[in-house]
Amino acid sequence: MPKRKILIVDDENDFTTMVKLNLEATGRYDVMVENIAVNAVNAALGYKPDLILLDVIMPGTEGPDIVSNMKEHAGLRDIPIVFLTATVRKAEVEQENGEIGGHVFIAKPCSLTELIDAIENQFKDTG
Amino acid sequence: MIEDMKKKLNVLLVENSPMDCKMLKEMLSKSAYGSFISQSTDSLKSALEMISQDGFDVVLLDLNLQDSKGLETLKKLREACPQLPIVVNTGAYEDDLGLRAVTQGAQDYLIKGKYKPYGLSKSLYYAVERKNAEENLHSAYQRQKDIQAQLIQAEKMNVIGGVASGVAHEVKNPLATIMYGIEFLCMKIDAKDEKIKLTLSSIKDAAQKANNIIKDLLDFASLSNLHCRPEDLNSIVEQSVNFVKYQCDNASIKVIRDYDEKLPRVDIDKNRVEQVLVDIMLNALHAMKRGGRLTVRTSTKTFSKKDRDLTCDEIAAEEGAVLVVVEIDDTGTGISKESLSKLFDPFYTTRRAGGGVGLGLSIAKTIMTNHEGCISLLNRPEGGARARLVFKASEKPAG
Repeated sequence: MPKRKILIVDDENDFTTMVKLNLEATGRYDVMVENIAVNAVNAALGYKPDLILLDVIMPGTEGPDIVSNMKEHAGLRDIPIVFLTATVRKAEVEQENGEIGGHVFIAKPCSLTELIDAIENQFKDTG
Repeated sequence: MIEDMKKKLNVLLVENSPMDCKMLKEMLSKSAYGSFISQSTDSLKSALEMISQDGFDVVLLDLNLQDSKGLETLKKLREACPQLPIVVNTGAYEDDLGLRAVTQGAQDYLIKGKYKPYGLSKSLYYAVERKNAEENLHSAYQRQKDIQAQLIQAEKMNVIGGVASGVAHEVKNPLATIMYGIEFLCMKIDAKDEKIKLTLSSIKDAAQKANNIIKDLLDFASLSNLHCRPEDLNSIVEQSVNFVKYQCDNASIKVIRDYDEKLPRVDIDKNRVEQVLVDIMLNALHAMKRGGRLTVRTSTKTFSKKDRDLTCDEIAAEEGAVLVVVEIDDTGTGISKESLSKLFDPFYTTRRAGGGVGLGLSIAKTIMTNHEGCISLLNRPEGGARARLVFKASEKPAG
């Protein structure tokens, strides 16, 4: 089975390094890291990921703005996005059944299992 | 104009002289001002017994009795009955004594032989009104003080909450990095080396503890955001019990349930209240390391300002309001005297060595306050402790 391509957009370099290492260690994913938020759309256009892990609060531009920009590109608007962010509490996410404002959220920190479950759930919906 | 002039006053005459007592009774029966029923006694001891058995509206007190003299008589009566209006009835040579009596808690004083039935009657009615006014003023002052204290506490909590929220948010990212790093190392490093296994396991546990502390801090900071709706408290209590049931079974703790089937609904944030209940139950379990009994009880009460038994002074409810009470009793070691007054203080804990950061009960208290309810923790006379949560009902009980 071909590996899923995951783009992670987050300004915390140490965090993205760890996420990449862990996801790729499973053998199921190829991960590209983008630490500069304003480059996110170009990174996605070049890499063509199957899913994007997106932080909310970043220098330069914020996660929701990146989502709006991506919708203007035909090749990007259907890519599933999961917000992976420290700005919400786990209890808040659970209270809203994992979705806030129509987007999927995971509260940092979460376990690798929770992260993989959230990724795979997106692919269940899209096939 | 006195509000309720038609109310018949029940007067206790505490008078040493039988002749004076007879005259007073006659005056009261003939007075054109108000109406009275009266009883009499000539000793302070007997007066205190009569007051405890009967609902007197006012006392007419001779300071010089068989078993008590002077202002000491007033002091003892006032201490025993702080809310009862007292009119001091003194001899002519004791004018100064009467003035001092008023400054020491009597509502009025009369000089024997210097008043007529009308004046006596007015003095008794006015004493009742004056005492009511004093009580209302005292209540208003106390409410003001309480509100002031609450505002100061709320401001403290806001500041702590703001700092906690900021710190927690900044720490979450590096913590996430550490946790993923540990997971990766656990996957990759040779698991046969026991020391390496132990090291990784210890780091993982420490990271998880740090995560729990962050969670507590963020909970503390977000306590004002409640999502309330009418809920069945019995089912929430039962869910909380189920959450701790496994630990109870492991620790040989028997769980006893005593639920009021007709419990009214309460407007609450279910998740927050469950958080409080589970926290209290876990504290109870912690106090019963060698087994014991955990009793969980729900009931309905009617609020009365005179109800000392409720031991929940902070609840602001109307007289007669329906309250829903949850009690959690344990048969553990009880709460030390030193801890009793600090239990709800932020960051106070007796379990620092175990990783406790001391926010659990502070959060619980704030959650209850935000629900317009209250929480108390007391030692039980028979041993162990009782946690009591009181909520206002959102509707009257069915049936």
